[in-house]
Amino acid sequence: MQVTINKVFPLDGSVSDAWSLLENIEQVASCMPGAEITEAVDENNFKGTVKVKIGPMHVAFKGDIAVQEINPSEHQIHLIAKGQDSKGTSSASMDLTASVRSGESGASELTGDADVTVDGKLANFGGRMMTQVADQILGQFAENFSSKLGASAGSEDSAQTESGPAPQVQEINGLKFAWQALIGFIKSFFKSKT
Amino acid sequence: MSAAPETVERQEQLQGIGCSRKRKEDPRFIQGKGLYVDDVKLPGMLCGEVVRSPFAHAKIVSINKEKALALPGVHAVITAEDLKPLGLHWMPTLAGDTQAVLADEKVCFQMQEVAMVIADDRYIAADGAELVEVEYEQLPALVDPHKAMDANAPIIREDLVGKDEAGQGKRTHNNHIFTWDVGDKDATDRAFEKAEVTVREEILNPRVHPSPMETCGCVASFDKVNGSLTVHITSQAPHIVRTVVTLLSGIPESKVRIISPDIGGGFGNKVGVYPGYVCAIVSSIVLGRPVKWIESRIDNLSSTAFARDYHGVGELAADKDGRITALRFHALADHGAFNAHAQPTKWPAGLFSICTGSYDIPVAYARVDGVYTNKAPGGVAYRCSFRVTEAVYLIERMIDVLAQKLDIDKAEIRRRNFIRADQFPYQSALGWEYDSGNYAPALEKVLEACDYEGLRKEQAEKRARGELMGIGLCTFTEIVGAGPSKACDVLGVGMFDSCEIRVHPTGSAIARMGTITQGQGHETTYAQIIATELGLSSDDIQIEEGDTDTAPYGLGTYGSRSTPVGGAATAMAARTIRAKAQKIAAHLLEVSPEDVEWDVDRFHVKGNPDAAKTMKEVAWAAYNNVPEGMEMGLESVNYYDPPNFTYPFGIYLCVVDIDRHTGETSVRRFYALDDCGTRINPMIIDGQIHGGLNEAFAVAMGQLISFDEDGNLQGNTLMDYFIPTFVETPHWETDYTVTPSPHHPLGAKGVAESPHVGGIPCFSNAVVDAFAHKGVTHIDMPHTAFNVWKTIHELGLDS
Repeated sequence: MQVTINKVFPLDGSVSDAWSLLENIEQVASCMPGAEITEAVDENNFKGTVKVKIGPMHVAFKGDIAVQEINPSEHQIHLIAKGQDSKGTSSASMDLTASVRSGESGASELTGDADVTVDGKLANFGGRMMTQVADQILGQFAENFSSKLGASAGSEDSAQTESGPAPQVQEINGLKFAWQALIGFIKSFFKSKT
Repeated sequence: MSAAPETVERQEQLQGIGCSRKRKEDPRFIQGKGLYVDDVKLPGMLCGEVVRSPFAHAKIVSINKEKALALPGVHAVITAEDLKPLGLHWMPTLAGDTQAVLADEKVCFQMQEVAMVIADDRYIAADGAELVEVEYEQLPALVDPHKAMDANAPIIREDLVGKDEAGQGKRTHNNHIFTWDVGDKDATDRAFEKAEVTVREEILNPRVHPSPMETCGCVASFDKVNGSLTVHITSQAPHIVRTVVTLLSGIPESKVRIISPDIGGGFGNKVGVYPGYVCAIVSSIVLGRPVKWIESRIDNLSSTAFARDYHGVGELAADKDGRITALRFHALADHGAFNAHAQPTKWPAGLFSICTGSYDIPVAYARVDGVYTNKAPGGVAYRCSFRVTEAVYLIERMIDVLAQKLDIDKAEIRRRNFIRADQFPYQSALGWEYDSGNYAPALEKVLEACDYEGLRKEQAEKRARGELMGIGLCTFTEIVGAGPSKACDVLGVGMFDSCEIRVHPTGSAIARMGTITQGQGHETTYAQIIATELGLSSDDIQIEEGDTDTAPYGLGTYGSRSTPVGGAATAMAARTIRAKAQKIAAHLLEVSPEDVEWDVDRFHVKGNPDAAKTMKEVAWAAYNNVPEGMEMGLESVNYYDPPNFTYPFGIYLCVVDIDRHTGETSVRRFYALDDCGTRINPMIIDGQIHGGLNEAFAVAMGQLISFDEDGNLQGNTLMDYFIPTFVETPHWETDYTVTPSPHHPLGAKGVAESPHVGGIPCFSNAVVDAFAHKGVTHIDMPHTAFNVWKTIHELGLDS
């Protein structure tokens, strides 16, 4: 099952600072909740893991990340990540194009366009759940990215963060996501009506 | 004179045919005292849990059992590699194909069986299954049967590459299974060319699942000392299972005992032989301990025996007055990854050729192409005779399409096309001989009961106000009671059925049957047949089914065959006993057998009712005082091979009101008139009709086994899969006429499936009718609020 995600997140830092963070895959991975780069195969190929817990399900993806293109002039990076759960219950792949650009009021913005394909147990949750979960994962990623970038700038505007920047290898917690997904789902009703 | 009060009283005491006798099985069910497979607990029993494929199509790179085997309490992990030396990694299907018992090198559908973990209990087995590590290499998956036939489509069944047939005749593509056709194609094509009017519609019967309350399972117990195997199993056909087990295992059939205990609903889901059964049996043989395997609800919805998935194209040719001159139907049948279609062996499309329905259609042609996709295997008859729902859905939808095209009333177009009562036995264009029917008066009865004219007036007024109201009609003919052995067999065994009756000295009796009840009430109704035939009270008659060590061989219960076939065997066995009893009675009365006559529960000397011997007295004499040269005892066994199918029919009418803002469809009225011939127990008939209509409502209004484009199941739990409860279920009104079957000993035809078969198109016809004035001719099921709303929205009716 495939979901397409297009996101724009405001960042605290400048475009050049944000870009230097974005082009460093290992740094980027550390912003991904539950994710870790375990091996740098070469300049453009990495191996990594992502752990997700949704309700009673623990899924630990092992996979490869292949950087397709780094375009410094456009501040854009294109990568493909593919992984399979070690127990063989699910697989996921992501074709991601991310870039930084100058945003409103002088700050920068992170944009991400991703096609996420999920097969197996996770896909049985259906699109309504997957989109919400993916949204939340990316939201938390952007939050971590921004706080890493802002470092000391703090994060007063992100009221949902309970304990500052996430530790590097925090499992993605599905229950928390489910709660946030529910809120997102309810909000989406009002958005479509107005 | 003959219906003297005394005679009537004696008849009533028997509680025989026609009596609304309360179900004999209910006291144990409502007290929780039934015995289902999962209630069977044997000493030393282990439990199996299946490791399933997460992917719809993938190569298996490796399977690592180490961690699972290291878990305390796990006894074994079996894979295809372990079954291979026994030749059991693949098994034959009822449809002439082979199916992987455990995935052999590749998986072909999501939730396919890959391994089984055997452990001390179910919890450990489930934990063990989680620890089995399988590495897959994903392959592109095929979900749409149309795409499966593309020239460059991925090959699903690599084991069949280079083979131009898969057990059902010639195939033309790697994902093609068979082409089956019937009728006069050339004459049909010519009739279409000459026709004044033709209509064509693409009509889908979506993939659904019978989802019985009890899932599938078994307890296999192999006795190493004497080499015998006992299997308690959820099977609608235990004798066939015994034959299959013998063919697969080589254990003599006399040492295999299959027991179907109480079964919590079958609806076709429990006809086939599933990998879980085979794995449990093999594990028990290897480990020498009983092994239980019980499906979870998700396993059941995902892997065992779906129904339908028929992608049909219906065409009718007619004259300007709406008289049908020809019918041409085609269906692309999605059978999933293995052709495990439930069918009499020679019928790859089941009895689909009943698709000319209740109408006198001079010429017809039907064709079905079976294809493989990366979906679960099956294609069972979900509360219907084989593929009859699909056939009836097509014709009953198409006749409405034709009515709309010609602007003829939907009741009137049926009147004009009905087979007339004087045409029976009727030879259909596709080769069936309908035994009996009387459609026109039944239709008028329903139209009058529902004030059809009034409803159409009300609809016109509502349409003028922009409100949506639909009236659905369905005037269907079923074909049940498979079947005559000259036409039908399963794995070479003719589709007869059997009954063995023993009358004990004190005048009670036991009857053992080749069929098996799953909620149909056999213990009640078969006893009523014997009560009437033998003049013994039905309370004194025990019915026993499901144990192959004691019951005579029979083909089981599905396709509404119990009453048409098993019921006939019961009557015939009873009549043999009565014939012997007549001789004994004559002997006791000291007259010749021709001089006694049967009188409800006794024989009396002709012209002298007081010189009589009751059946009870005769039973006693059968064990101590029989005519010279006669064997003692009073018993008989009958294997009944029916001369023809039976053709029950029904006239249904449904009224729906649709909310034009939400798409919510509420069923205001549903009137079901059924004609199943002789009615054995009217209360059980009503119960069967209520149940069948509930399942028709479920299919029409909500059930769907859906997949995403990669073959991932979307909604294989009861959170998504629609099971109507009494909250959603409409009120049902039932009615009947009686047109006995001329060839059945009792004139009975079978009823349990008619409401499902006839109910589904009736709902669809009502929903489509609500939009008919806007030019809508067809909407595919399920008619959920969202789907109906989409139609409303496209038509701009919600503004």
